[in-house]
Amino acid sequence: MKRLFLNWNILARAFEIEMRQNLTDGFVVFGILIQPLIVAFMALWMLKGKGADNAIFVVVGSGMTGLWTTLLFNGGNSITGERGNGTLEPLVASPASMRVVVYGKVLANVTQSLLSMIGSYLLISLVMGYPLTLARPGLFVISLLVSVASLVSFGLILASLFILIPDFARMVNTLEFPIYILGGFLFPIALLPGWTTPLSYILTPYWAAVALHGAAQGTLEPLQIAGTWGIMAVFSLVYILGSGRLYRVILYKARTDATLDIVGN
Amino acid sequence: MDAITVNHLKRVFKSTDGIIKRTTKEVVAVEDVSFEIRQGELFGLLGPNGAGKTTSVKMLTTLLIPSGGSASILGLDVVKDADQVRPRIGFIFGGERGLYWRLSALDNLRYFASLYYVDEATSKKRIPELLELVGLNGREREKVEGYSRGMRQRLHIARALLHDPEVLFLDEPTMGLDPVGARELRATVMNLQSANKTILLTTHYMFEADALCQRIAVINKGKIVALDTPSKLKENVQDLSVVEIELYGIPQEFIDRIKALEFVVEVSIENRDQRQVLQVHTPKGPEAIPVLIENLNGLRLGRIITREPTLEDAYVRLVGGTED
Repeated sequence: MKRLFLNWNILARAFEIEMRQNLTDGFVVFGILIQPLIVAFMALWMLKGKGADNAIFVVVGSGMTGLWTTLLFNGGNSITGERGNGTLEPLVASPASMRVVVYGKVLANVTQSLLSMIGSYLLISLVMGYPLTLARPGLFVISLLVSVASLVSFGLILASLFILIPDFARMVNTLEFPIYILGGFLFPIALLPGWTTPLSYILTPYWAAVALHGAAQGTLEPLQIAGTWGIMAVFSLVYILGSGRLYRVILYKARTDATLDIVGN
Repeated sequence: MDAITVNHLKRVFKSTDGIIKRTTKEVVAVEDVSFEIRQGELFGLLGPNGAGKTTSVKMLTTLLIPSGGSASILGLDVVKDADQVRPRIGFIFGGERGLYWRLSALDNLRYFASLYYVDEATSKKRIPELLELVGLNGREREKVEGYSRGMRQRLHIARALLHDPEVLFLDEPTMGLDPVGARELRATVMNLQSANKTILLTTHYMFEADALCQRIAVINKGKIVALDTPSKLKENVQDLSVVEIELYGIPQEFIDRIKALEFVVEVSIENRDQRQVLQVHTPKGPEAIPVLIENLNGLRLGRIITREPTLEDAYVRLVGGTED
């Protein structure tokens, strides 16, 4: 029980340290606030002929892009940052579970990215004057919490690759827009070729987008929304359980290949 | 029981090159290193740059998997029992990295305390004590980015002591410090040793090893070339004198000519500002000077002295010639 409390303390401290470091980082502020607003503005422009109903879709969709961008770049790159600081080695050589530390860091990044949804909401409702209402506010809030938990668990897997491969930051650039599209953040995946659908189904960001869009617009029944929670919960469980062995293997390999103190390009 | 036991430790680094035709290059950083350190001992690992000191320490601190051999800390294997080793050791690596610069010293220490499962009550008591020990009390709320190099190094020591480890690894802790900062840090290390910590200190400063360590292992090209007390190591060169000749530029052919002289045991060059000091180890003492001057004919010479050998001379003899 004491160990559990101390692990919780590590998670809370990792969360706090990450939050405070991010607040002084201009790129993070851009990823959370500016970029989603640009996306929201462009999406609204494209959808303006289709009525005010799309406004809430845009708020949620652009918020999701901020969530994903933050998870991808800041969640993983926080490991790159640790390498740059020279703090990855002290982290690995400490008795703390690296998974707990990474979970705290990714959670901080994803929590901060929720600001992007609020930013899009304010832009569209106050600046652009669109009426915004959530069809199922209670289910939307639960969907948001489940989505965050699921995305953080996915971030845990993603971050492990940053530990193993110093140059992984360069590779993730290619993952940003495909997930926007396959996740159905800004338009339905029905517009995509049929063969891409299975790819969407195995991505937890897609189910997060389904739940959030469905609850915001009222296009899904409560039971259907609960179904997406179940799918996300299964994904989260798989990621968390799988991460135990994954981190053991990856940390051993990083110590064998001597990549912990290598700063990538 | 020995606190640290190292048996034929080896570490090879591999790097690959090319895309289609991949070639693998292997570099042996540590070839064969063995030693034991007693509990409460301050043990020095002395060697030139690239000798394998940091690689050895990284294997002992569980950050690198050895390619061969074995090592144990307090009876625990550094690979198989890494999880049990980690709470019992503390380490610092030379240089300024390893801290969160945008946070205060207090934030850094509180975070690292949590990583070592130090509970809140203990942490609140120990952090001020450590800040006092390393002389940072009163500055703990300032961001680390505003600290001097010496302050950061002292913060590293405080970080390494948060969980009160039994064994400490100090990898070139005075690297890059000014003389005053280095002296203060050496005093801190002496205090730690008197608190009965087992300490492995790596350095390439001979006087530092001489002043602090009870025993010294000299490492060169990944192998231990000598292991003894500082006074015993000095005895190895007691039969020799060192003739020092100041020069203003010396071509390699002259160095080779001096090395070839029958009475010359070892030759090293030390750079001092615009000058070089040619150090010749010889049993002949002052009698060697006329022959040496004759072989340096045509070069601009400065002061010439003969002195007793030091630990540094013993080290030069062991690792051979000029340091990079």
